[in-house]
Amino acid sequence: MKEKIETIRAAAKNAIAASADENEIEELRVKYLGKKGELTAMLKQMGSLSPEERPAMGQLVNEAKQKLETLIAEKKAQMKEKATEMRLKAETVDITMPAKPVKTGGIHPLNHVVNDMIDIFMSMGFDVVDGPEVETDHYNFECLNVPADHPARDMQDTFYLGENLLLRTQTSAAQIRTMETRKPPIRVICPGRVYRADEVDATHSPVFHQLEGLVVDKGISMCDLKGVLEQFAQEIYGKDAKVRFRPSFFPFTEPSVEVDVSCSECGGKGCRVCKGAGWIEILGAGMVHPNVLRSCGIDPDVYSGFAFGIGIDRITTTRYKISDIRLLFENDKRFLEQF
Amino acid sequence: MKISLKALKYYVDINVPVEELCDRMVMAGFEIEEIEKQGDNIKNVVAAKILKITPHGNSDHLQICQMDVGKGEPVQIVTGAQNISEGDYVPAALDDSYLPNGAHIVAGKLRGEESNGMLCSGDELGLTEDDYEGAAVNGILILKGNPVPGTDMREVLGLDDYIIDFKITANRPDCNCFLGVAKEISVVLGTEFKAPKPEYKTVGQNISDYISVEVRNFDLCPRYIGRVVKNLRIKESPEWMKKAITASGMRPINNIVDITNFVMLETGQPMHAFNYNDIAGKKIIVRNAAEGETITTLDGTDHNLTPDMLVIADGERPSCLAGIMGGKESEIESDTTDLFLESAKFRRDNIRHTGRTLGIRTEASGRYERGIDIINVEYAMERALQLIYDLDAGDIIDGAIDLNNGLPEERIINVTTDKIKELIGVDVPDEKIISILNSLYLPTTANGKELTVRVPSIRDDVEGRADLAEEVMRIYGCDHIVGKPMRGDVVRGRKLPERIKCDKIKDFMSAAGAREIVTYSFISSSAVDSLLLPENDERRKQIKIINPLGDEYSTMRTQLTTSMLTVLSTNINRKITNGRFYEISKRFIPKQLPITEQPDEIPTMSVGIYGDDEDFFTLKGIIEGIMRLSGAHTQYERISEPYLHPGRQALVKANNTVAAVFGEVHPSVAASYGIDSRVYVAEIKLDVLLGINKRKTVYKPLPKFPAVERDFAMLCDAELPVGDIEKAIAKGAGRLLERLELFDVYSGSQIPDGKKSVAYSVWLRSANSTLTDKEIDAVNSAIIKNLESAGAELRK
Repeated sequence: MKEKIETIRAAAKNAIAASADENEIEELRVKYLGKKGELTAMLKQMGSLSPEERPAMGQLVNEAKQKLETLIAEKKAQMKEKATEMRLKAETVDITMPAKPVKTGGIHPLNHVVNDMIDIFMSMGFDVVDGPEVETDHYNFECLNVPADHPARDMQDTFYLGENLLLRTQTSAAQIRTMETRKPPIRVICPGRVYRADEVDATHSPVFHQLEGLVVDKGISMCDLKGVLEQFAQEIYGKDAKVRFRPSFFPFTEPSVEVDVSCSECGGKGCRVCKGAGWIEILGAGMVHPNVLRSCGIDPDVYSGFAFGIGIDRITTTRYKISDIRLLFENDKRFLEQF
Repeated sequence: MKISLKALKYYVDINVPVEELCDRMVMAGFEIEEIEKQGDNIKNVVAAKILKITPHGNSDHLQICQMDVGKGEPVQIVTGAQNISEGDYVPAALDDSYLPNGAHIVAGKLRGEESNGMLCSGDELGLTEDDYEGAAVNGILILKGNPVPGTDMREVLGLDDYIIDFKITANRPDCNCFLGVAKEISVVLGTEFKAPKPEYKTVGQNISDYISVEVRNFDLCPRYIGRVVKNLRIKESPEWMKKAITASGMRPINNIVDITNFVMLETGQPMHAFNYNDIAGKKIIVRNAAEGETITTLDGTDHNLTPDMLVIADGERPSCLAGIMGGKESEIESDTTDLFLESAKFRRDNIRHTGRTLGIRTEASGRYERGIDIINVEYAMERALQLIYDLDAGDIIDGAIDLNNGLPEERIINVTTDKIKELIGVDVPDEKIISILNSLYLPTTANGKELTVRVPSIRDDVEGRADLAEEVMRIYGCDHIVGKPMRGDVVRGRKLPERIKCDKIKDFMSAAGAREIVTYSFISSSAVDSLLLPENDERRKQIKIINPLGDEYSTMRTQLTTSMLTVLSTNINRKITNGRFYEISKRFIPKQLPITEQPDEIPTMSVGIYGDDEDFFTLKGIIEGIMRLSGAHTQYERISEPYLHPGRQALVKANNTVAAVFGEVHPSVAASYGIDSRVYVAEIKLDVLLGINKRKTVYKPLPKFPAVERDFAMLCDAELPVGDIEKAIAKGAGRLLERLELFDVYSGSQIPDGKKSVAYSVWLRSANSTLTDKEIDAVNSAIIKNLESAGAELRK
């Protein structure tokens, strides 16, 4: 009997090793270990053995059974692994095939720039405020030190809607509304839409966007203005950006400056982008005119402040190298998708 | 203002190259529009002598010239001109030369004969008779004075000057003249400024024997000076004066007119010359025009005057529009013998107003509008008389009529050096501040740190310490300003709640695959017609721009849909197959028309979508997303907007307030935008959504007990909205309803006419226990009962 068990065991072992797929293995399991299997039959024959022989023989059969079970399990695992391997191999994809697109949208390039600016100035403690686009002559001009028939009105061609109503030519009107409602220290920016009667061409649009900044506190100087604008320029144009002041004139600031930033294209050496100047004019700024402070009930002998107005469209077109400002308002999807 | 560099050098020493001068002026607040080098556009053109002329064998009109161009060997040039003779000196453009009109001249052959260049006419060199006598002759320019052959023509013509175009800011009217700019240059370069000191002799007699002057409105004419010059000797002006005038963009006419123009360019003070013999009653009256009066100005235009306009009248009628333009009748002509000369100050806003009303702007009115100095009025008159005397243009009668209502005192500003430095933020040495102010002709005395600055009337722009700070800053140098980091109390910047909400909506729209657009706030007056709105529709009450750039941009929009349709049309017509767009902007709703107060500016959003994957319900999905984001409880109702498909449009109420309208665009509206496919638009009242206080999010526990799913298939009238069915199910299911989902709507075969089959899956779940069969059956019956009363019968 012992020999027979060994024979079965050896035959089974070979058969398992030679088996080619899971079906075959299952058949082998049934053949040897099933209810009518060969090893099971051996167990059933135990009854014919003497009680002395039984334990040893029983152990032998069980050992053989366990061994076969292990072999079957191992073989199954092996096969599964192989099958997985085969499947994975068969499933190789062409990674250069097109992706299944995730349809996303996005904001307009002008607002990418506005959002960046808002982030920069909010981090410096500026509140973001809003103002009406249809302004009164009073807020757009009078309070900003530009009385009626003042030559400075020629600096901006204005759209009029009524006797004393106009489309704001600058976000500066928001300065006045802010100073009327808040007390120093004041730190606000006002991004928004402004209007000037400029014929449409590659660099002019009758509708464009500005960001006005205003700081009023005790002891504010041109150096504070420059510091804030340097921060701004370095965030927008890179950490090497330099800021230059050129004396200029705006009715609502005194002293007034035009502010240039070193050309980010050539680093200030002079190139086509900056027309050889090495500098690009980006905004106008200055110390809030004492008359403006006074008209808002702020004592210019106690407080001083600075204001600046940044052209958002200009920064957008230079940042993205957009050659024609009209593209911003045409809204071709292929254009918008680039931002 | 354009000024010749040579003219400037008459008043100030300029010891640096022109480029450096301009750079330094820019940093002192004088932007340079352009530096034009005269003759820069003429290259390789030389003076040449005609040695020999022979006829051209193959042409009747061509001649062959042997030219001495200073190269030793003669050069052959063929010309078509006939006005030349052997021995003439003429300009010759050599091989590889350039002319002002851009022409590039190269050697070649003319009808078989070699020609190594071209002989030039005055016109070809960009010259007029004013530049060079004989320049206007039809033919080759014959040069005077036998220039050495080979001499560069620019040298021959004296074209070695630069014309600098200074951009003078509105606060510096005193710099709209040679003297003003020269004075600034002298400060910037630290060189001497030399103003002419007028001296002349009169021929005696007294002006009062010739004329009387009356100023009736000193408010509009604070100062008026008149002089008389007799026995005019009208002729051409000297070369230097003509060149200075031409460089500044004016045309020389004759010595008298040129002197008035030159003095204006030099001093900034406009002058006017009247023909004395045309002055009726020998009386000059400065007064407002009378109702119905007219004048014909120098340019031949007739103007109707109104009483707010100031005129210079004689005894009978207006003979000059004060400060703007003279009258035709009293014009100086070549045979004029006697002259009444005016130098005056007029109020700038009045000149501006009159000029705008009549549509006239002249060199003079431009200067008056910006403001001229009342003291300078006298200096300019003296200077004009000096020039008349020096150029022997006439005999000056003794005595001046000088009418004014008192001249202004100097403005005194008391300020400390510290107050000036505080604004700039730079520690400028006190002595430096004082010397800068003095150099700018702002006489300053110091008592320690206390300054007393005497501001002459010509620097009317200097009102207080801020202005003084600017003067110091621009001369001391802006590069001394060193940026300081933001300081003060640490504060947090905030956005307005509306902006935060809009940002969230934009984030949602980005996730929904939509692109933000930006369009103009004004539209054409007829845009709203394309929406087929009835005559009385509120959206037709639009604000018109009084001075629009054209009808296309004439009307403030009361809706964003027309702008959206234009963008959709642009994209569709460019063969872009699909798109989702949105805009967040403002509607302008007038409180009255015409408007007398600021209109309501209402934040509004528009959405526009098109393409094969889009329909009414994809747009509804976007709308629902926005509503959910805003915390709104929404309801949909049918409406009838004329621009939308009658069966595919809906009104959305957010918490019972109208918040949006959306739907498929009516095909005839789409067609008017050149769109022949289906497009879908929405207009959302952001003001309503922004006003909703979104409830705070509170966590809801995840379910512990299983859900039960039941399907309901029913038959109902085809017209019954599924919304009613959903309400019925919800009512029947009560608090156990977790979710319901429409999975089939069908009509057709096996369904009776006028009916439809609708099927819902319903999920029921209790938060506290597993639902028992008994509970489920009860809910089932309740749902069926409610469906039946809604008109839907369960399919057997």
